[in-house]
Amino acid sequence: MTDALPLLVVIPLFAALFPVALGYLWSDAGWATAAVTALLHLGLASVVAQQVINSGQFSYAVGGFQPPIGIELVADSVTAVLVVLISVITILIVAYARRAGPHQNAFYSELLLLTAGVSGVVITGDLFNLYVFLEITGLATYALVAANRSPAAALASVKYLLVGTIGASLYLLGVGYLYVATGTLNMADLAGQLPAVGYDTPLVVTGFVLLMTGLAIKTALFPLHTWQPNAYAESPHSVTAYIAALVSTAAAYAIFRITYTVFTTSFASVVPLALDALAWAAAISVIVGSVLAVVQSDLKRMLAYSSVAQFGLIIAGIAVMNEIALTGSLVHLVGHAVMKAGLFVAVGGLASIAGGQTIDDMIGLGRRAPIVSLGFATLAFALVGVPPAIGFAGKWQIVLGAVSAGHWAVGVVAVISTMLTLAYFLRIVERLYFRSPSSVDEQTSDMSMNMTTDGGDAMATSISQTTRVIVTLSAISAIALGLAASDLISILEPALEVYF
Amino acid sequence: MTPIELFTSRYSYIVFVALVGIGLYGVINSSNLVKKVIGLNIFQVGIFLFFIASGYVNGAAPPLIEKGAETAYASPLPHVLILTAIVVGVSLTAVALALIIRVYNAYGSLDEDVIREVQLND
Amino acid sequence: MSNNADTASDTDTRAESINNPTYVESTIIMTTVRLVVPFIFTFGLFVMFHGADSAGGGFQGGVIVASTVLLLAFAFGIDATRRWIEGPLIRTAIATGGGLFILIGLGALINGQFLEYAAYDIGTTGIKYGIELVELGIGAIVSGVLIGLFFTLARGDMLTEGDIDQRSSQEQHGSDRS
Repeated sequence: MTDALPLLVVIPLFAALFPVALGYLWSDAGWATAAVTALLHLGLASVVAQQVINSGQFSYAVGGFQPPIGIELVADSVTAVLVVLISVITILIVAYARRAGPHQNAFYSELLLLTAGVSGVVITGDLFNLYVFLEITGLATYALVAANRSPAAALASVKYLLVGTIGASLYLLGVGYLYVATGTLNMADLAGQLPAVGYDTPLVVTGFVLLMTGLAIKTALFPLHTWQPNAYAESPHSVTAYIAALVSTAAAYAIFRITYTVFTTSFASVVPLALDALAWAAAISVIVGSVLAVVQSDLKRMLAYSSVAQFGLIIAGIAVMNEIALTGSLVHLVGHAVMKAGLFVAVGGLASIAGGQTIDDMIGLGRRAPIVSLGFATLAFALVGVPPAIGFAGKWQIVLGAVSAGHWAVGVVAVISTMLTLAYFLRIVERLYFRSPSSVDEQTSDMSMNMTTDGGDAMATSISQTTRVIVTLSAISAIALGLAASDLISILEPALEVYF
Repeated sequence: MTPIELFTSRYSYIVFVALVGIGLYGVINSSNLVKKVIGLNIFQVGIFLFFIASGYVNGAAPPLIEKGAETAYASPLPHVLILTAIVVGVSLTAVALALIIRVYNAYGSLDEDVIREVQLND
Repeated sequence: MSNNADTASDTDTRAESINNPTYVESTIIMTTVRLVVPFIFTFGLFVMFHGADSAGGGFQGGVIVASTVLLLAFAFGIDATRRWIEGPLIRTAIATGGGLFILIGLGALINGQFLEYAAYDIGTTGIKYGIELVELGIGAIVSGVLIGLFFTLARGDMLTEGDIDQRSSQEQHGSDRS
């Protein structure tokens, strides 16, 4: 039981005040604060992970008020893995944003707020506290998407805000229904009190549906995903990498936590329709996301639809109520975060020397940017599910578990989506490596390398060292995590066994 | 319970459903961005009404303990939850309006259809 | 001194009513606001201080305090009021309020859990004074944020004072490169 658990949220929150306060004196205060805080966050996350690995799950009562009256923070091995993931991705994005991202102090303040929010979602053990942290995450994300001052980004952010707030309010309504039913907000206490109320009463079932709908909006499942392609495509590259890696991950974690800790597997046996409906919605989301990704021409939009498909697969693995599928979902959650962050950073690097982010801008970049292109290709094939990368490990477990639980549809859908993922990634890899720009294109690109463009993005002549390092690191870790997948599974196992 | 009984005893829940419906209709149907934000606010107010109405205890005292009094107290928890949610709603409205100002400055109109046409023409 | 303030505000408001078509200079409003605002501010502080034991608290008191500045802005002109409350004051209010809350929480770690007011052991238990101080901090944050938001929205774009400074220095650093 360490004090590091609430400090995971408090330190980024405290540090977010510094760029606002010191911005007048020192214009570089933002980046320095963010870098120091990210390193501190990694230290705290390692302390928590160490504690969990040594002595198992522990909880922390905020303010000394014992649960179920007080707010309780709970850390088990799933939390430990996700908290370390958050720290690592924050460090990578802060390093990337040094050169690439928006340089205002307000940006770093919002980024630290987002770190605090996402950490809070992962460590809390109280339903209303989860709502507060979801809203903090949402607010910071709306501000970050609009951080590059373009009006298209502002419009995408307004659309995201409207849909996201409706989602969070539906979640709040679900919490309200459960509170009216049982009188408590603590997750562990609810799990004990809900059977007494009755799992099949309309109040409890409606509460579940509202909670899941609200969180599905935040995770961007079909048909509630419409905010995601615009938000990803219009925001700055560093912001896209961060929110693609962590925001939907936090919402998917919340779905897992509520389904298994609050409404235990007994709920699934009493009301099988609810979980079946969730599995079907997730399966449809997989197909639609993959199909829509194939027809896109903007790279970031394509990767956004790919996120829709991957999160559909993860939620399907959570909804089939099978231990192997659940383990696969959590493994894929971690792996997807690492791979998507690397992919979006690579897209940022490639777009900066190509001058645009559409597929046709990528023609011939395999020669001009060999390291980043190779990293992009590696991460793409890892996401498709080529062994031994982590994408394969997660998907294999999900399909195995779903089929053994009797949900054949999920297995078929996963296979179809793998083929479609291969299709749209092959389009990019083909343009990177197997096509050379025509002579006209080469001439214009030579000319524009000699002059700086006015307004918009200035085209760089080469990708910065930081971008290459980050892309290489994420490609290597995607493969390394895949090789160490069985270790990851054995870390997650003790936390997941208690649910079955 | 007959419909008349429903209206006289549970009217606050009927108002809650009406507010949520009006708010959602406003968000989905209006093309003006500011009207969407207003619809969102109405939707959120409906949800707050549900919480507060469900926390009402007949004949209970406010949750301030006075020395010696032994009456039943209403729980302060729903009110605290809604206070937090109201502050969240206010900050979301503020962020939405600031973004809408930026959109208006760039596109010259608050109507969503007009903005889409301007974006297509760019 | 009050004569100087009066003439300064008179020229400011006259300039405002020329430049800003929505502002109407009205002696009745200005006099009334000038008389009433101190009492509203005191009432806001009163509500802030009573969060621990009765209805009230940081959010409500902060909004009332922010509304005094809004009243002044409507009576005397938004630009004039913005120049009177400079950027640093708002930023200091937000930073101080937030810092106070978090430091009280972190200070409790010496003796107990995070944000455990009872660990302070002042008076009977530390709970009452802890909550009062935290409510003051929350009031500072809420009023600072609301006033800052009002001025930002009134100006009509998203740039805050700091971002204008940052933008000029960013133009020297060069545009985005990755």
